[in-house]
Amino acid sequence: MDMIDSILLVDDENLFHLVFEDACSLLDITLNLMAIDNADAAENHFANLVKENKPKPDCIFVDLNIIGSSFDGIELCRRINFVHGDGVVIGIISSSDDETEQAKAVKAGAQFWIIKSDEIEPRLEEFVKDFEGYKERTASFKVYR
Amino acid sequence: MIVLNDEIKKELIQLASEKNIFLEGNITKLIDTESDLDFRNYIFQCISRDKESRKKRLDITKTIQQQNKELTEWKAHNEQLNSELKLALETSEKAKQLAESDLDVLQKRTQNELVGSIVKVALWIICGVGAITSILFAITLLTDIENKTVESSWSNMFSILLTNSFSIVGTIMGVKYANNRNNGRDGGGCKYKK
Repeated sequence: MDMIDSILLVDDENLFHLVFEDACSLLDITLNLMAIDNADAAENHFANLVKENKPKPDCIFVDLNIIGSSFDGIELCRRINFVHGDGVVIGIISSSDDETEQAKAVKAGAQFWIIKSDEIEPRLEEFVKDFEGYKERTASFKVYR
Repeated sequence: MIVLNDEIKKELIQLASEKNIFLEGNITKLIDTESDLDFRNYIFQCISRDKESRKKRLDITKTIQQQNKELTEWKAHNEQLNSELKLALETSEKAKQLAESDLDVLQKRTQNELVGSIVKVALWIICGVGAITSILFAITLLTDIENKTVESSWSNMFSILLTNSFSIVGTIMGVKYANNRNNGRDGGGCKYKK
């Protein structure tokens, strides 16, 4: 199983950054992880990458409710998908399993939804197996419970 | 992959065996170990140690995350309880004020009724004694009986009744004035009006 070259995590909870980083390292998901705790900062970062023609992350994990930001994770998905970039695998990572929000996320261009809980590692392992499908745009929207 | 020369490899292995210091982090996954068996073992050891410490850190972080979550929930619950308590306190305070006001009104009514009864009884006694002595004095005048004692008793009685009447009226007025002053000072007068 190939590693994902680079991942961007957008989540307001700094403790989850550590959990995600350790899980990615232990499961050999990626060696290049960047974590941002604010949706506005993430959008600016992505816009700068596009503007300066720098390599974009292969995959972006966005939290649903990013406290301290002027918009939520679904809006960030929409902006990255339809305003700043294309071809980036992007999805939501949240403790919520709300189907209405999931439908909104699909409309915003999210390709997956990972339920955040204590045991996140098995879901990440399953996600990595499906990653190629997301990258090729052949896999349909999936919720990892 | 990063290819290290033999000298650096030896130094790293020596550092690990002598001082128990190992490479750690994701860099260990990027070092080429194909040609050297000892160095491959060394890197394998580095990766195992790194995984071990990451597992520990992950467990601790998850525990802290869980505690944080519980603490946040507890805080929200506590805030809700506090607001409910505050509301209950405000309600009980209002009820207490209302009860105090009712009690005050009741006390004043009882006092007024008592004062009224005392005044009534006092007036009856005054009028009764005055009437009886006057009738006695009239009888002695009409019947020409010796009336020195009755005459002096009547005048004494009337003077006593007169002074006592003023004294009673003065006392009642004084008590009423004192009550009004007290009510005005503690706001009771306003409560009474409500």
